[in-house]
Amino acid sequence: MRAGRAGREPVPGGAQASPPSGNLVVAGVGGQGVILASNLISQVLLDAGYDVKKSEVHGMSQRGGTVVSHVRFGPEVHSVMLEPGAADWIVAFEWEEGLRALSYLKPDGVALVSTERRIPPAAMLDHRDLTLDYAGLGEVPPGVVAVDTFAVAGDAAAAAPVVAQTVLIGALSRLLAFSSESWQEAIALWVPPKALAANLTAFERGRALFTDAGAAGAAATAPHGASAAGASSGGGALDGAALSPEGALAGLVPTLRIERSWCKGCEICVAVCPERCLVLDNLDVAVLAHPQRCTGCELCAWLCPDLAIDVGLVRAAGLAGRPS
Amino acid sequence: MKLESALRPPAGGPGPGGAGRSPEEPEPSAEKRFLRHGMMPHMLCPGCGHGIVFEAMLRALAGRYESLDEVAFVAGIGCSSRVVGYVDACTLHTTHGRPLTFATGLKLARPELTVVVVTGDGDGLSIGGNHLIHAARRNVDLTCVLFNNEIYGMTGGQLAPTTITGAYTSTSPAGNAESPFDAARLVEAAGATFVARAQSYRPRDFEELFLRALDHKGFSFVEVMTDCTEYFGRTNRLGNGADLLFSQARMEPEIDADLAGRPTLKQLAAKPVRPVLEMGVLHESNRGTLEEAMHLLGARS
Repeated sequence: MRAGRAGREPVPGGAQASPPSGNLVVAGVGGQGVILASNLISQVLLDAGYDVKKSEVHGMSQRGGTVVSHVRFGPEVHSVMLEPGAADWIVAFEWEEGLRALSYLKPDGVALVSTERRIPPAAMLDHRDLTLDYAGLGEVPPGVVAVDTFAVAGDAAAAAPVVAQTVLIGALSRLLAFSSESWQEAIALWVPPKALAANLTAFERGRALFTDAGAAGAAATAPHGASAAGASSGGGALDGAALSPEGALAGLVPTLRIERSWCKGCEICVAVCPERCLVLDNLDVAVLAHPQRCTGCELCAWLCPDLAIDVGLVRAAGLAGRPS
Repeated sequence: MKLESALRPPAGGPGPGGAGRSPEEPEPSAEKRFLRHGMMPHMLCPGCGHGIVFEAMLRALAGRYESLDEVAFVAGIGCSSRVVGYVDACTLHTTHGRPLTFATGLKLARPELTVVVVTGDGDGLSIGGNHLIHAARRNVDLTCVLFNNEIYGMTGGQLAPTTITGAYTSTSPAGNAESPFDAARLVEAAGATFVARAQSYRPRDFEELFLRALDHKGFSFVEVMTDCTEYFGRTNRLGNGADLLFSQARMEPEIDADLAGRPTLKQLAAKPVRPVLEMGVLHESNRGTLEEAMHLLGARS
């Protein structure tokens, strides 16, 4: 496995300006824009004069299930489906889905895999750290490139995280080296107008991944989840002045018990907390980011649809001992 | 997983692997002891209002019961009905639309049980609409909680008899042309002796109404307005779970002022949102129950 770092990597597999034919697999989970991305890629290929056939599987996509799309192009395409080991390029919007799609990759093919991670609902029970390094799983084709799409997209994905995946389209445009304009036209055709500017920015940053130095943020090698749960979960220093009077008298402070494996990241607690104590961490799990502000009002517990939050009083000393 | 282990909370309280809690964490709330911990987390979508109502039901029961051995939950089919699978009581997951028929039989056979029927707007008003009005007519001593999210969530967001006019669903792509049922008024007209309406935005009010419904002798009905984020909210572009939740209280000045800052709900007037409904106890009366008419001994007095 290699990681793309802005402007430092040669184009993996070499740029192909007009390949005679080719096969792509676009993989991800529901809501990531897999279908849109494969439509967009097909559009570029159609505009370039190829015969293009596309198929897709999106059965449980609305519940975060697997979505995979096959795109085949050439002078004339008969079958819409790929055999395993037949894909020249894989674009995977999710880390594990990338792994699932790898069986389709040719030995010399290139897979652009986002390090974004979506834990499937069935695996939420244990909230295991599902961080897998592909290299630990045996034979991995050399052309697998991990891209931290959020880091590369930067502020372009601030309004809508899904825009980050356009980074991979930008990177793909270096491999399938049709003109940048033809890619941009396809993006303009398929992306909603209000999101167009952000998508074009992400596209350019993805393109810059393999060439122009310094144009984009560095892409990290570690997938999301490999790092600690985020600075927010550590909590800050205890601010005694903010404690509720009754609790302070008894030496107790209100705090939350959040069942991480039950939280589905709906953000209701974040929105209803009058003191804005809660945030979602990088695994979309609610954490008490500002324990010193918590008044113990219990709104979050009452309105949590996942029964994941309990509010209670604990000894202030216990909180003060929390690592910051 | 064996049933026994599915019912018991893991050692050291609920949590991944039953790992001991760190000392600064509070104890789990009392209502958590009524959960089948092995089944959690539940299958409801992120932000689904059903979970809020479910927890409120458990909280109300936790304040009253030491164990739920004498409480039976009967449910039909649908997202709402699935919640009974997570409560450690006597539970029946029955056929679509028929929880009230099963519950009627259960209550007549075991009058000492407290029987709670959990149903949804599709299950209770469409597929089982007939059973609902007849259960109300018979005045069986049941408590029926109808989760009204105005859509068929489990089957893919189809039009329900409670879908408000103009709303988009997967089977009304041009907007719903029909008028919705007023479930509470329907059941009242059919003869229910306790009718109330609550909303997931105010779970504490629902708890109170639910307890009053449990106390009531005769057919008690609580309609609770909840939100379907994945189908109703998304199809109608109403925002996420928090947006939908806040929109339930949009007639209140301070909430309304806050809504203006939530981009998805800015043009609320142009959106298909449910009208402002009367909440609280809508009807209360007393007449003989079916158990009394059938001279069943041991009926709850």
